Amino acid sequence: MQLSENSAKDKLAAFGMDDMPVVEYTPKHCIIDKDWFNKYYALRRQFLLSLTDSFEEIAFMNLSQDEFMGLISGKITPENTSVRLRIPLIWGGKLSIDNMFMCLTFPHSQKLDEFIIGQSDARTVFLPNPKKKIYVTTHLAGGGAGGNAASDRLTAAVINYASSRSNE
Amino acid sequence: MIQSEFISLIQSRGAKLMPITSLNAITVVNANLQEIRASMLPAFLLQLYQSCFGITLGSACIFGPTEINRGIKYPLPSIITINQDIRGNKNVFGKTVFGRNDLFWFATDALGKCYMLDNLTLSVLRVYDDPYRAMIDCLIVGKI
Repeated sequence: MQLSENSAKDKLAAFGMDDMPVVEYTPKHCIIDKDWFNKYYALRRQFLLSLTDSFEEIAFMNLSQDEFMGLISGKITPENTSVRLRIPLIWGGKLSIDNMFMCLTFPHSQKLDEFIIGQSDARTVFLPNPKKKIYVTTHLAGGGAGGNAASDRLTAAVINYASSRSNE
Repeated sequence: MIQSEFISLIQSRGAKLMPITSLNAITVVNANLQEIRASMLPAFLLQLYQSCFGITLGSACIFGPTEINRGIKYPLPSIITINQDIRGNKNVFGKTVFGRNDLFWFATDALGKCYMLDNLTLSVLRVYDDPYRAMIDCLIVGKI
């Protein structure tokens, strides 16, 4: 079904993601390299390692201590977290960190799959394109002013926690 | 491969088996799936649900007959919810989606033949005669 920008945003709002930005894209059917999975595998690890600049968003993902440390050391993708491609490879997306974002598998990634599947026969599709590397709804994000040179209290708490772990 | 070998293999990779809540739920699932033109549960899933009500490994999962409460994490939806949400898509008529990872969805027909589906269009990418091979392919992507 061909959506307009407004109907795409309405559909995302119905899925509980009214703050998810979208980008209109004309799919180009591409031939994917035979070794795409190995490249994706390596890149995904690099993406996880790059999340050390996203502590504030990670803090809202309900991760255990082990999952948190495993994530920022690039060793594991924690349960119920997904890494998605902004523009899928088969539609001309590139294998690069800039083309990736992380979100919760349930409900967000599952609903984003359904959102895209609903547009599978359209000439142009609206793809989710969050501003940051990790998407958490604005219903969750936020926090007051912080101390210790951090911009808010949550970031300060995460920095303190990470530094205490590195001293163990 | 048999079920015990499959479960042993995925547990060694860190998969979590979800506890069984009520075996009556399986009967309700079949009735609901028939109503939405999905396939009824094949033998391998019925057998799996005697051992567990779903499996998770990182971002990958096999759905169970009921929603699974995971404490502070968002619950794992039931196989009914997943299939009801995509009912009407011509690519999955006669199939039941039973698993997903970040790249693909996995479906089965009533005879137990499994399909790897593109997560953008639900078109078939690969066909499996061995359902355990399909479930391993589904779960193992969640590990990376």
